[in-house]
Amino acid sequence: MPHLCRLLQENSFILWLDSNVVLSLVLEIMHYSGFFLIVGTTAIVDLRVLGLAGRDEQPSALAEQLRPWMWTGVVMAFVSGFFMFSADALDFYEAYTFRFKVGIVLVALICGVVVYSKTRHWESLPSIPVGAKVLALISLVLWIGSILASVEVPAISGVG
Amino acid sequence: MLSFFMAIAKWLQSTWWALDISGSTWIYPFVQATHFTGLSMWIGTNLSLDLRMMGIGKKRRTAAELSEALFWWNWLGLLIAITGGFLLFSSAATKYIPNPAFEIKLGIFIPLGIIVHIINQQKVKTWGAASEPSGVARLMGLFELLIWFTVITCAVSIPNFDTH
Repeated sequence: MPHLCRLLQENSFILWLDSNVVLSLVLEIMHYSGFFLIVGTTAIVDLRVLGLAGRDEQPSALAEQLRPWMWTGVVMAFVSGFFMFSADALDFYEAYTFRFKVGIVLVALICGVVVYSKTRHWESLPSIPVGAKVLALISLVLWIGSILASVEVPAISGVG
Repeated sequence: MLSFFMAIAKWLQSTWWALDISGSTWIYPFVQATHFTGLSMWIGTNLSLDLRMMGIGKKRRTAAELSEALFWWNWLGLLIAITGGFLLFSSAATKYIPNPAFEIKLGIFIPLGIIVHIINQQKVKTWGAASEPSGVARLMGLFELLIWFTVITCAVSIPNFDTH
């Protein structure tokens, strides 16, 4: 893995990308915007399942409307994140905070996707099950945790 | 004018909460995370509405219905973002005040974005009542979208202008 990281950060395209101030800025803007889109839209769907937001809307209607923007955010954050990682791949790989961040983001994403995909089933039941609300709460907490983990990466490891 | 703002910044930086934030390894990232959580709710919901106003994406819900469903959480997001942002600013106010990226972000684009957002939220009831949004709705959605991207650009550019 360290060998792969070294190859990645010594790649001529990655070196060119990293040395280009404008493109580095574009990647950063894309990463933040993507993250805002994922967390913002998923939080609203989670809050709806918890019965706290958009109660005039069916959970599935809200999820269907916001799902494309959640996925747009995922693509934006992952593509830009990959290039940002590549520029300092070895340092990121060695930072335990970064590994923790990636782990928590992946678990949060899985929980979020499950919540999005189950809304239609849950609303067909007489009331939204407690398990669904717990899952929505876990998704919400994990996304806030992933933000915290993200800001801790440079604070603790000095990378990024 | 700058000396007036610098005097306020110096006072802010000496308050107990600012000293607590800047003096702790752990509090700063927590406050930063609070700021980002608020921003995610504010920007995430704004972008969703702007894109719907532009006629992009699923059209089962009109822009007016989506705006109503997101309303309270959208503004709660801004409140959280402002609280976190104010605390972050307090901890290093004298560093932020002379920073041109920060000045442009806070002095021009954030107020402009909020004004345009309020107009959009008010007018979407008429502009975005139909499944296919009107021309003016598309234009205003795009305008607001570009303002928030500019705000993010200014925010990520702040370290590039850091003179300390």
